[in-house]
Amino acid sequence: MKNKYIFGGVIAVVFLGMMVYLFTKTNIQYESDFAKVMSSEHTIKATGSWVKEKSYEVNKENRTFAFIMKDAHGKEMEVIYSGIMPNNFESAQSIVVTGKYVNGKFQAKDILTKCPSKYQDKQSAAASS
Amino acid sequence: MAGSILITLALALSVFSMIMYYYTYRGAQNTLSLARMSYHAMAMLVIIASALLMYLIITHQYQYEYVYSYSNDDLPFGFLLSTFWAGQQGSFMLWLLVTALIGVFLQSYTGKRDDLEPRVMIFFTLATTFLLAMVSPLLKNPFAYIWSEPMFIETAKINPAYFSAPFMQNFMFSDPNSGQNFVKMSKELYSTLVEAGIPIGQFIIHGKGLNPLLQNFWMQIHPPILFTGFAMTTVPFAFAMAALLKNDYKDWVRQSFPWILAGSGILGLGIMLGGYWAYGVLGWGGYWAWDPVENASLVPWLISVAGIHTMLVQRKTQSQGGFGKFVKTNLLLSILAYVMVLYSTFLTRSGVLGDASVHSFVDPGAYVYLFLIIFVGTFLLLGVGMIAYRWKFLEAHVVSEENLLARELALFTAAVALGASALIVAVGTSAPIFKQSVETKFYNEMHVPLAIIIGLLNGFSLLLRWRASSGEDILKKSKYSLMATGIFALLLILFGKVYDIMMILLSLSSAFTFFVNAEIAYKIFKGNRKMLGAYVAHIGFALFLLGVVGSSAYSKQSEVDLTKGKPVNVLGHTLEFTGYTPIENNTKFEFNVSVKDGNSNPSIVKPVMFMSQFNNSLMREPDILEGFTKDFYISPLSYDDGSQAASKPKGNTVTLMPDEKTSIEGAQVTYADFIKPDMSVMMSGGNFQMGAKLIVTKNGKSETIEALMKKDGQGVIFVPVEVKDADLRVGLTKIDPTTKKADFVIGKLSASTEVFQPQEVLAINVSTKPFISLVWIGVAIAVSGFFISTLRRLKESWT
Repeated sequence: MKNKYIFGGVIAVVFLGMMVYLFTKTNIQYESDFAKVMSSEHTIKATGSWVKEKSYEVNKENRTFAFIMKDAHGKEMEVIYSGIMPNNFESAQSIVVTGKYVNGKFQAKDILTKCPSKYQDKQSAAASS
Repeated sequence: MAGSILITLALALSVFSMIMYYYTYRGAQNTLSLARMSYHAMAMLVIIASALLMYLIITHQYQYEYVYSYSNDDLPFGFLLSTFWAGQQGSFMLWLLVTALIGVFLQSYTGKRDDLEPRVMIFFTLATTFLLAMVSPLLKNPFAYIWSEPMFIETAKINPAYFSAPFMQNFMFSDPNSGQNFVKMSKELYSTLVEAGIPIGQFIIHGKGLNPLLQNFWMQIHPPILFTGFAMTTVPFAFAMAALLKNDYKDWVRQSFPWILAGSGILGLGIMLGGYWAYGVLGWGGYWAWDPVENASLVPWLISVAGIHTMLVQRKTQSQGGFGKFVKTNLLLSILAYVMVLYSTFLTRSGVLGDASVHSFVDPGAYVYLFLIIFVGTFLLLGVGMIAYRWKFLEAHVVSEENLLARELALFTAAVALGASALIVAVGTSAPIFKQSVETKFYNEMHVPLAIIIGLLNGFSLLLRWRASSGEDILKKSKYSLMATGIFALLLILFGKVYDIMMILLSLSSAFTFFVNAEIAYKIFKGNRKMLGAYVAHIGFALFLLGVVGSSAYSKQSEVDLTKGKPVNVLGHTLEFTGYTPIENNTKFEFNVSVKDGNSNPSIVKPVMFMSQFNNSLMREPDILEGFTKDFYISPLSYDDGSQAASKPKGNTVTLMPDEKTSIEGAQVTYADFIKPDMSVMMSGGNFQMGAKLIVTKNGKSETIEALMKKDGQGVIFVPVEVKDADLRVGLTKIDPTTKKADFVIGKLSASTEVFQPQEVLAINVSTKPFISLVWIGVAIAVSGFFISTLRRLKESWT
């Protein structure tokens, strides 16, 4: 009877330990402050929006897609995504890029464009105010 | 209006039914028929309300916000069906509808079994009450009018006949960023329209349309099946609560068993249909991305399946008298499965995962957020509270002695492993609440060892006898399976070239399960076939695991540019782009790629790309060359017809404001005036042009030109102007009608005349998916196993 609990307990501890270890190892934090993104050495999910005025650049040879993002404070950051331009990039209201800030540029390996279906409301509300 | 009244009435009836069932449970004599009648009336009203919503969608009644937001007139009937569950309101409605219908069967099922009905239905009607409150006019009501909350509607959706109406000026808005115009649909506009005698149905004449990703067969069947699976988890919950209420734990297992089996089968099928949709439509090449929405439906499934295994033990051990083993575990898992469905709903519907998923979540507002928390909290507290309340009794009356080599323990361990998997998925999925997230590696690396254990247990548990078995017995029984697995291992390493130790172990454990189950299934097939269910489900699971290993660990992919007419060798296949074909009235384009594997005849694979009106985006649809041993998957990336490079003005980009001038290529260019667009035409979305009047001066000679941007049915085009005297080519590339700021590309005319041969280039992502067919075949077999078991346990539920 006692052995059963000890045995089960050991397995549970090993399992939870593994989970916590892997969780911390694969953990990526969200960051909406670009100053912090730029000073960090870790992989980060940076959230912000595309600076439309500065357009974007598609490099066909290297298959990269470069654009400027800004955070809520207006701080801008150059992003280079290795891949093609996402489907609804231009209509995206906010963007989440996953990657690292290296040598003055954010090297993104993943990009997520958010287009809430109600974005029109906010957009036009901003326009009419 | 009618819809909201139906829902409100149904809500009142649901509450009434719940109260009447409660009184029946407390011993009242004449309340049962009232409870039943009000339940049936409630279910009827829900059916009518759903039919009404469908009718509103089919007849394009855009005065309803839901119909406007998720459908359009050009959608065929089949996709209008998908509109029903395309948005939050509709999918809650679907969930409610299925739950209400299941309740009708549940009522008749429990009504025939002693005093079961009131105890079960109290909790079931509590669930319908919450769902009805969710779609009631206070929260996510699908019958809300479009003006109940002010909403900006594109002018293109409005009948142009009313643009000239004088009152319209107060409701028109323009967005300088996109140049789009909107009408603010508010209560004020509605009352103005009513005063002017304009029916709202004639005023808003188009809807926003349905997301093109949802316009396919899989999205017509995936949501109804998934929601049926969700709704089915309510039943085991209600049975567990009913048992706790009576403090009698003998009968509930066999009564609940067919329901949890059928529910898990349906939920599993629903989840995997979603996976097949992702594979066939989204184009990233996989079927499972550990996306929060997928995970959220997986967790309740894992818990339910864990519950099935321990419930089996309780049922078997009841023959020794008493309640049987694992009563507490079974109660907890039955309750947790439903609570996790609700928690999943909270995660995916409340907006907390906003940044974490490709699914777009709309922030539903503070009330809905709060309501969802109350919904989850109520059922969690009720369930856990009841178990805590009965804990002492359960501790005293439930036996727990174990034999290490008994099937009971193996089944319990399997349930623990499944529970561990559920915990991993739940933890990873909940991380974004705390502004954290995990890479998919977290799920994958945790699950490889877990899947190996589950596979081995799956095989061994069936070799173990109930209560106790000897080591020799197991060895004798597993003789053939072990031999077959050994041969499989050799083949795998020699011919499959699989060298990764974890993958070998996982394949072996799956193969072992497969052989053990196949052997038993073969023996049973000759005897009592209705006992086959479990083995069929396990064979399916084993095949599924093998498919997962093959398609994910041994998938190869590559990105290539295909120039038209030039064959390229990719991943052992010869690919050639042979041109595109317009389909569906020139709205979409098929890009034909001929794929040749060795000396066989080439097959044509046709990935599709098109511009979607719905979200103004380029949509890409993959196409797959399917085979048993492997799929060849082609996802389009981009297409370049080469003409852009030929006609694009070359030169420097300059930004000018009106009256500003610049010197370039020896000439002076002045932005003299802004050419205004016709505002009324622009408002109505018609054809218009705007641009800049420029004065170009070189060597004392001046010329006035107009650089224009034209919008017509085809889209926006910029017309470059050539100034021969000054040897300049001027093209407008961007102009803002409010600030009048404009960008021009100015270059030497003589430099841009070089001859250019356009080349059509299609960029694609190609991948091979070995044995992905086993994933689908495995799931199909496993699901049929669940249903075979359901039939068997349904018969047993009487005794």
